[in-house]
Amino acid sequence: MTTATKFEKQATEVYSDRDPKSGAQLLLEAIEREGVDIIFGYPGGAIMPVYDVLPKTSLTHILCRHEQGCGMAAIGYARATGKTGTALATSGPGATNLVTAIADAYLDSVPVVFITGQVPSDLMGTDAFQEVDIVGITMPIVKHSYIVRDPADIPGMVREAYFIAAEGRPGPVLIDLPKDVANAVTTERHRWRPYPKQKPEMGTSDNIAKAEALIRQADKPLFYIGGGIAQGDGVAELRELVERTEIPVVSTLKGLGSLPSDHPHYLGMLGMHGLKAANYAVQECDLLIVAGARFDDRATGKLDTFAPHAKVIHMDIDVAENSKLRATDVFLDGSLKKNLAALDPFRNEPYEKAQVQPWRDLCFSRRTQHEWDYDGAQENAAPGVYAPKLLHDLSRRAPESAIITCDVGQHQMWVAQHCYFDDPKDHITSGGLGTMGFGLPAGLGAKLGAPDRTVITVSGDGSIMMNIQELQTLHRYGIPLKIVLLDNSALGMVRQWQEVFFDRNFSEVNLDDNPEFTKVGEAFRIESFLVRTADEVDAGIDRLLATKGPVLMHVKIDPNENVWPLVPPGRSNADMMER
Amino acid sequence: MTELQRDKTFGPSGVSGTLKVVLHDVSGTLIRALGTIERRGYDYRDVHCTQRVDGDFDLLVRIEDIGGPRNLDILCRQLERLYNVVSAEKVGRRKRAERAG
Repeated sequence: MTTATKFEKQATEVYSDRDPKSGAQLLLEAIEREGVDIIFGYPGGAIMPVYDVLPKTSLTHILCRHEQGCGMAAIGYARATGKTGTALATSGPGATNLVTAIADAYLDSVPVVFITGQVPSDLMGTDAFQEVDIVGITMPIVKHSYIVRDPADIPGMVREAYFIAAEGRPGPVLIDLPKDVANAVTTERHRWRPYPKQKPEMGTSDNIAKAEALIRQADKPLFYIGGGIAQGDGVAELRELVERTEIPVVSTLKGLGSLPSDHPHYLGMLGMHGLKAANYAVQECDLLIVAGARFDDRATGKLDTFAPHAKVIHMDIDVAENSKLRATDVFLDGSLKKNLAALDPFRNEPYEKAQVQPWRDLCFSRRTQHEWDYDGAQENAAPGVYAPKLLHDLSRRAPESAIITCDVGQHQMWVAQHCYFDDPKDHITSGGLGTMGFGLPAGLGAKLGAPDRTVITVSGDGSIMMNIQELQTLHRYGIPLKIVLLDNSALGMVRQWQEVFFDRNFSEVNLDDNPEFTKVGEAFRIESFLVRTADEVDAGIDRLLATKGPVLMHVKIDPNENVWPLVPPGRSNADMMER
Repeated sequence: MTELQRDKTFGPSGVSGTLKVVLHDVSGTLIRALGTIERRGYDYRDVHCTQRVDGDFDLLVRIEDIGGPRNLDILCRQLERLYNVVSAEKVGRRKRAERAG
C-alpha cells in the first residue's frame, strides 16, 4: 500500500491563496475554532514552535508538572464538562509519559485530543534524539491517530480529530506533529472530505418492539447500567423509564450517579466489590436490560455464571459490543438516549405490576437487610477512623453538586460503595485502566472545568505518590481542590489480596516509611492537616469544606481494614466473601 | 497451577477463516487493521492486499484463532470501528464451525 505523501488522502481540494501561516499557528487556531478554552501541557524541544505561538492565542495553558498529569487533568476536565479535553507534550519522553493517560481515556471512553511534538520529518525513523514512534506505540489505545505531513492539512485534521474523539463511543485521538511541519509556513489549505461513515441513530423499530415484548414477558427484569448513560446523555431518559416500569437497577462503577444513590429503584453497584442486593439480583433475574455497559470482568465475575437465567437486551452505541462477551437476544445500537426514550413496553397494555412485585419485594428486602451499619463499624474501629463512614459523611455534607475524583485501590471501592452520587458526572474514577495517580490531576482538571462546583479528590497513600508533583500545579494556579488522603501505610488492595488469596504472604506492600504528608503538602504551600482519630473526623470535614484554597486532609486509617464484600477473581458474583 | 490461574487460562477456540477488509488509502490504515486482528486473538496465515480502481485497498487475510472466546462477526465489527476501514466481512468457507457466543 502506498502511504499518503504530499497530503492525507482525505483532502479533496487545495486552496493556495490563504494567509501565510505556520503549522503551529494553524494548529492552535484550529483548536480555538473547536471551542477549546483550556489545554494541559508541558513544553519541550520538538513542541517549541507551538509554545512560541501559544501566548498569542486565547487558549489558557495549564502547566502540569508531568505529562501524565497533563493527560489525566485533560481527562478530568473532559469528564466534568462533557467537552473534549486537550493535552500537549513534546516528543520522546514527553509523548511516552502521556501513554498511561491515553490508555486511561481509551478504556473509559473519554474524549481527549492528545498532541505530541515529533522530531523533524527527515529525522523520523533515524532513532534521533527524543524520537519515539508514538503513533505506533499508541495504536492499540487510541480511537484514531495522525502524523502530520503537511501544515496545509492541519485545519481539516484538527476538525476531524475533535469530531472523532467525541462522536459515537468517545475516545482519545492523537496528533503527532513533526517540528519542521510546525515551523513550515504555507499559503495552502487542504479541504478535507466529510467523515464518511454513517451510523444508525437508534435501534430499529422492530428491535425496539422485540425488546418491549421481552420486558413485558419478564417476571424478574433488571437494569444493568454503565458509563454509557452519562456519555450518551441518557440520564433523564433512564430515570423516566425506570420510574415508568419500576424495574430494579444495578450499576457499574462508571454508571454510579445515573440514578441517585438513594433512589427507591436502585440496588447499588454490582461486581467484585458490589453490594449483595445488587449481585444477588443479577444472579436471579430473568431479563437483563443492559444500558451503556460492556460486561467488564470486574462487573461480571466468572462470565459463564453471570446472570445465568437471563435473556439480554443490550443498548450500546458501539456495535462491536454486541455479543462480544455475552450473547444478546436484542441489541439496540445508536443513541442510548433515543433508545431509552423509545422504549415504552406498556404503551398499549396496562402495566401488570403484580407480575413483578414479588421480584421487587425480594430485591428491596435484600437491600434493607444488607444496609451498612456505619455507627457499629465505627464503634468497632474506635478510636481509629473507619474510612467508609468518613466517606459516607463527607459526601452527604458536601454540596449536592460536589464532584468526587478518586485514585485506585481500597479507597476507590469505598468511594463507590459509600459516597452519595446523584449525577454520573459527580464521580470521576479510573474505571477501565485502574490508574493509580489518576485522582489528583483528574481533580484539578475537573475543578478547572467546573469552577463553581466543589471538587474533592479521595486518594490513598500509594496512589497519591504517583502524581504528587501536581500539588505544585494546584499552588501555581490557586486551584481550590480538596484532597482527602486515606493513609493505611500500605498498598491496601494488594495487601488485602495477599491476605485473602496468598496465605497472608505480604510482599512489598508495607508503606510505613511514607513521608509526613502534611509536611509534603506544606512544602508545596498547600494547607494541610492531620486527622488521627474518629473524634477528629467531623472537625476535619468542616475544615476541609470551609477552606477556600487547595487543602489536604491527611487521615490515618487502620492498615488492616479491608473492602467487603469481595468476589474472588474468576468466581461467580454469587460467591461473595465477607469480613 | 492454582485454581485462580486455571480460571484465567483458556485454549484456542478453533475459529479460523478469511476476512475481506476494504481500506481507504490513508497512511496507517493497513497496520491498524492488521494490529487489531492480532490483538483480538488471531494469527495470520496469509495476507494479500491489492489496490482497487477507486483507490481503496482490498485486504484478504486468512486468520486462525490463538486463544480466547472469539467469533469472527465480532472481529469484523471491531475492524469496521476503525477509521478508514470501509468494511470487513467473512468470506469463503471456514475450516471449522465457529463456537457460538
